Amino acid sequence: MDKKATVLSILNDLTGEDFTNNLDEDLFASGLIDSMDTVQLLLQLQSQLGMDVPVSEFDRNQWNTPAKIIKKAEDAD
Amino acid sequence: MKSLIEIIDEIALSHPDWPAVNTLGDLKTYGELKAASDGIAAALQAQRLPAKAPLMVYCDQSFTAVATFLGCVKAGHAYIPVGSHSPNDRLTMIEEIAHPALVLATIPLPLTLQTKTVEAAQLREMMTTAPVENAALAADDNFYIIFTSGTTGQPKGVQISHANLISFVSWMASFKLPRRPRMLAQAPFSFDLSVMSLYPTLTSGGCLQILPKEKTDNLKALFETLPHVPVDVWVSTPSFVDICLLSPLFDATAYPALKQFYFCGEELTHATAEKLRQRFPQAKLYNTYGPTEATVAVTAIQITDAVLADYPRLPIGYAKPDTTMTLVPGTVREEDDQQVGELEIIGPSISKGYLNRPEKTAAAFTEEHGMRGYRTGDLGTIAEDGLIFYRGRTDFQIKLNGYRIELEEVDHYLNQAPMIHQAVAVPKYNAEHKVQQMLAYVVPAAGEEGGLALTKKIRAHLQQVMMPYMIPQRFIYKDSLPLTQNGKVAVKALISEVNA
Repeated sequence: MDKKATVLSILNDLTGEDFTNNLDEDLFASGLIDSMDTVQLLLQLQSQLGMDVPVSEFDRNQWNTPAKIIKKAEDAD
Repeated sequence: MKSLIEIIDEIALSHPDWPAVNTLGDLKTYGELKAASDGIAAALQAQRLPAKAPLMVYCDQSFTAVATFLGCVKAGHAYIPVGSHSPNDRLTMIEEIAHPALVLATIPLPLTLQTKTVEAAQLREMMTTAPVENAALAADDNFYIIFTSGTTGQPKGVQISHANLISFVSWMASFKLPRRPRMLAQAPFSFDLSVMSLYPTLTSGGCLQILPKEKTDNLKALFETLPHVPVDVWVSTPSFVDICLLSPLFDATAYPALKQFYFCGEELTHATAEKLRQRFPQAKLYNTYGPTEATVAVTAIQITDAVLADYPRLPIGYAKPDTTMTLVPGTVREEDDQQVGELEIIGPSISKGYLNRPEKTAAAFTEEHGMRGYRTGDLGTIAEDGLIFYRGRTDFQIKLNGYRIELEEVDHYLNQAPMIHQAVAVPKYNAEHKVQQMLAYVVPAAGEEGGLALTKKIRAHLQQVMMPYMIPQRFIYKDSLPLTQNGKVAVKALISEVNA
């Protein structure tokens, strides 16, 4: 599975939604993800993609859409 | 016996310059707290409100909120703390149930209530009123009333008296808190976990360390702020410390002042406790337990390495000395050679019941030989030496991130949503028996189609009527829901399906 698909699958697990056609959905504004979910999101990105995101740098304004999270995952290497 | 108010005022008179409340570097002293709360009390007494009528305080986490609470009590009124994130419907519902004599708002109210309202600017003016003598207080008078969720969408106001609170605060003092403790105040004041830091701090000359919600919502802001909150006693839900533990920098090296941790509000898992022992080997770690109806917490145990080694699922501790815990007769059954039953708490910190809800009160509270008891709805076992273990719920109540949620209440709101035909909320547990997510199985109303657009529409609707923490995280759309033989939605079957 490529990174985009993995991120979408993680988000699907968290929210029950398929964001394939809604990559620019604001996850926080719509309440689809709250601060407790972000913890799960970070843990999943780490375990499934090996992304080490320092929580202290997790500014949610930089991670608020599926597209931005996919970009972060693709830029991670 | 001295009242809590007298103790706090004595500290203010002997040490007016000691800091009492720290909000991100903005320090307010005991002298300022006394002046502000005396002023509010005097202004309230001048209004000749009905005696002992409760007052609703719509508040953020601030010095003004703390001063307002004390001002209400000094004027002879219990306060009802209502959080700034409450939806409008909850505010009007609490107003209808409680009949407050006045609403005091530390921040702008999102709607106009029928009750006369004191706006923030006016409230600040009240703080400068010349003091008068405090109203007379009786031990059984209410000190605060905290609203929890109810099963039909009707919240229940738990009445906590001066005597209830004294029982709790005296017990906390027996834990050998540091001298003039600096306790973390992260929970909103509408959640009774906040009481665990508020009064133990103020009655021991300590300084309350407020960490407001704006800072905890965004992880980056949280980790920028946390090192500047000089806490030596940590009080939070396990869920909140789990977030902090995500940062490898959350350890004794970075936070050398942290001496004690107290957890309440939900189950403390072995994994969380173990991690904390590693990160803060010198700090003392306590697991506590208690429903709002029993005043914050009634059992505790220090989680040592020995306790971790002995118990894969941690105990909730021993009952405090003035309190008895038993299993409700008729609920007890044998499970793995142990007696499991519903926990009943009997003691001086048990609430007199739910405000203006005699039937709900009679259903959950007992009285025998002049001592009140509360049937918790929590299942537990009690070892021979009195050590108590939590084993889940007797009903459909769950804890999610420390918040108490009645699944039936969530169902009630879901089924009232016009875009929903039928729905049911289902908890998803992790490997450590903690609810990780709340799901909603939804059959859309005619003309609606399941999907992101509908989820957003349902969420937007629910945000008008429900506390944010009660809204399910996931919506799963179905053509129909499984039913029991009685024609009810088969919730237990769905719970098994989700957790298979």
